Amino acid sequence: MTPALDISGLTKRFGDTLAVDDIHLGVPQGSFFGLVGQNGAGKTTTLSMAVGLLRPDGGSARIFGEDVWSAPERAKAMVGVLPDGLAMPERLTGREVLTYLGLLRGLSRDVVTRRAEELLSVLELDGADGTLVIEYSTGMRKKIGLATALLHAPRLLVLDEPFEAVDPVSAATIKTILRGFVAGGGSIVLSSHVMALVEQLCDHVAVIDKGAVAAAGTLDEVRGARSLEDTFVELVGDQDTGVKELSWLSH
Amino acid sequence: MAVALTMAQMKLAVLRHAFRGQRGQTAGVGAVLGVLLAAGTVYLAFAGPDLLAAGYAVWLLGWVLGPVFMGGGDETLRPEYFSLLGLPPRRLAAGLLAAAFVGVAPLVSLSALLGLLVAGARLGVANALVAVPAMVLQLAVFVLLSKVSVALVGLAVRSRVGAIASGLLNGAILAALGQIWVFFWAFGQTGVPAAVWYLPSGWALLAVRGDWWALAALAVLVLLLLGAWAALLGRRAGATRPSGRGRRPITAATAHGAVVAKELRTWSRDLVRNHQMTFALSYGVCFAASPLILGWNGMLPFAGPIFIVMAAAMASNLYGTDGTALWLTLMTPGTPDVRGRQLAWLSAQAPVAVVLTVAFTAFSGGPWPLVLALLPALLGGAAGLVPLVSVYALVPGTDPHRRAGNPLRTSEDDGGLTGLAYLMLALVPVTGAPAALAAIRYGWAGVAVGAGTGVLCYWGFGLLAERRLRTHGPELLDTMRTGRKARTTVKSRFDQLSTTRRTIAWWCFGFGAIPLVPQGVIAAVFVADGMLRHTWFLATYMPPGLRYPVAGAFAALGLAMYGTGVWIVRPRPAR
Repeated sequence: MTPALDISGLTKRFGDTLAVDDIHLGVPQGSFFGLVGQNGAGKTTTLSMAVGLLRPDGGSARIFGEDVWSAPERAKAMVGVLPDGLAMPERLTGREVLTYLGLLRGLSRDVVTRRAEELLSVLELDGADGTLVIEYSTGMRKKIGLATALLHAPRLLVLDEPFEAVDPVSAATIKTILRGFVAGGGSIVLSSHVMALVEQLCDHVAVIDKGAVAAAGTLDEVRGARSLEDTFVELVGDQDTGVKELSWLSH
Repeated sequence: MAVALTMAQMKLAVLRHAFRGQRGQTAGVGAVLGVLLAAGTVYLAFAGPDLLAAGYAVWLLGWVLGPVFMGGGDETLRPEYFSLLGLPPRRLAAGLLAAAFVGVAPLVSLSALLGLLVAGARLGVANALVAVPAMVLQLAVFVLLSKVSVALVGLAVRSRVGAIASGLLNGAILAALGQIWVFFWAFGQTGVPAAVWYLPSGWALLAVRGDWWALAALAVLVLLLLGAWAALLGRRAGATRPSGRGRRPITAATAHGAVVAKELRTWSRDLVRNHQMTFALSYGVCFAASPLILGWNGMLPFAGPIFIVMAAAMASNLYGTDGTALWLTLMTPGTPDVRGRQLAWLSAQAPVAVVLTVAFTAFSGGPWPLVLALLPALLGGAAGLVPLVSVYALVPGTDPHRRAGNPLRTSEDDGGLTGLAYLMLALVPVTGAPAALAAIRYGWAGVAVGAGTGVLCYWGFGLLAERRLRTHGPELLDTMRTGRKARTTVKSRFDQLSTTRRTIAWWCFGFGAIPLVPQGVIAAVFVADGMLRHTWFLATYMPPGLRYPVAGAFAALGLAMYGTGVWIVRPRPAR
């Protein structure tokens, strides 16, 4: 079966630093794939290249077999993306953002209206109908971002840190939505540095360290008998350093 | 003092990083232009004190109006960075002032103020000595007046009424300066008006010339302005509130309509853009109307065209202003983003321009063909150039939700923004030139030419912008995200050619215009008008039967050269 997302040999260099070094990853259809790594390991860079937001220096990315760079229209129609920290059309309300993006995706007016209504109410954004996105809190921004990613009913979701700054109640809602999406045959790639969350949600996992894949496979293959956190620390942590203390902080 | 020193060091550190690469080049070009202006000002010190005082008045206006016109002034160190330190406002202001002295613009201004030293040295040792503190105080007045005026406008654009009022006012002031000759004429003034001596920009020169009190006055002014700025800093809280709620019903039903609606809402709800639009309107009206003071209404019909040019300059960083929201456009390839933005810009500006033009031309009864030729030519040209310039010369903007308390500052690179605005001021009139020339020469035929070039520019420039967005979208997003121009990994067709082919293409594109335009088209016009033996137009020297054929052959040669160039660089299917 064609993988939902097939990353082969993606490489990116920023000046002298090699941010992503020849990464190969296959995300099987119907899997919930977690990408874990330290800050600066190259998760965001990899995901940006995989969906066509950042041009790689080398390698390719395919979404259900369609190359992101040579057949962008077909590839991008099948993926919903939640990038980390990028702007939205800030001076629109949540409903306006969803309506206009849906129309741009080629959905009909009725479908857009219905889906926008549902997404806003499920994500509990319908109370902020008169509020412009620029006034949203960080958590609300994540939620409207997720709504835009879901809007056109893609077959693959690529989510960069979807749970950051989201309160526990909303997080539970989002988890339910995502699990339902996978149960319905969809595939998800999400990046996070919260191990417990990845362990709880994902069935596949890849550990990224210094721009390369340190381990990848099903959750059980990667963590073995231990917790994911222990495996992660062993894979990417420096061996010689214990936890340091700030001596001047104690009174 | 320690605070001031630390902030100056911080600024220096930031600038060292910022001026690497692309922005370093922009700053370098700006510095060279500035040093030339400064040298010109110092030269005025030798020409006469009146002229020098006038020169400094111009520098002062540049400091006060420049940042309001575009970019919001230097704010490398945002006051918000220090809000948790608990500094008293005055010390914060003093520290920021010290930091504000570090930079290209203050250095350039300081070198312009060397004119004071020259003026002093020509009078005596004591005068030269006074010039040193006078230079520093004068620079402080420049910087502080700039900060205070930006802060005041920044406060004004918190509300729609304030945004519109300050836009009207600023447009009127700038237009009055552009038309200063009218006022000179009206008041029978010749030479340099005495007022330049009494503006704060003249006080340092007064001090140097022996009016010692002026030095004290400068010092007092610095303290007053510092106090005012400290008070204004306390009033800038967080990001500007957007205006307008989402109450408007959503009517768009197509992708194209969605882009237009999205743009129009963004424009009407962004108070800075409200301010810029009223500024353009006020500038156009005041500039064209000011000769009425002399009883001359000949400029009135051009209020509309001037408004179009200014409005285009204000929108020159169209894509940059939206920041990284560009990712949504990249994720929905094939959407009519450029066309929608063009239509939105046009539908917001064209009605104003048409009403202004028709009403004012009817009032002054004149030259209908010229004005009606310019109107479509400029509207089409501007609506084409706005997206084109903003994707080719994108100045990375600060994402709207990350902007600090100064609403006018939409980018860290205010020099780049100003440059882009001036570029637009220069380019848009060019798109109106063919129509204007045709209208002046052939009357109503010009209107057809204007409509033709307008549609052509709208369509063609839009197409180029669309293409650029498609091929370089990720690079543009990267520029927006990092604030630096991305090193492109896309090779242009040109780079892939062999040296010989590249040279031929260079020659064809570089020199094709010579046979086509002067030796072909213009020579034919001269022949038609019976202007013979004209300078270097070969066809005009030919015997009667050969004149048109020669001009025609030249035109054909020019077209052939362009054709060859295009053929060489045209995309070929990969084998």
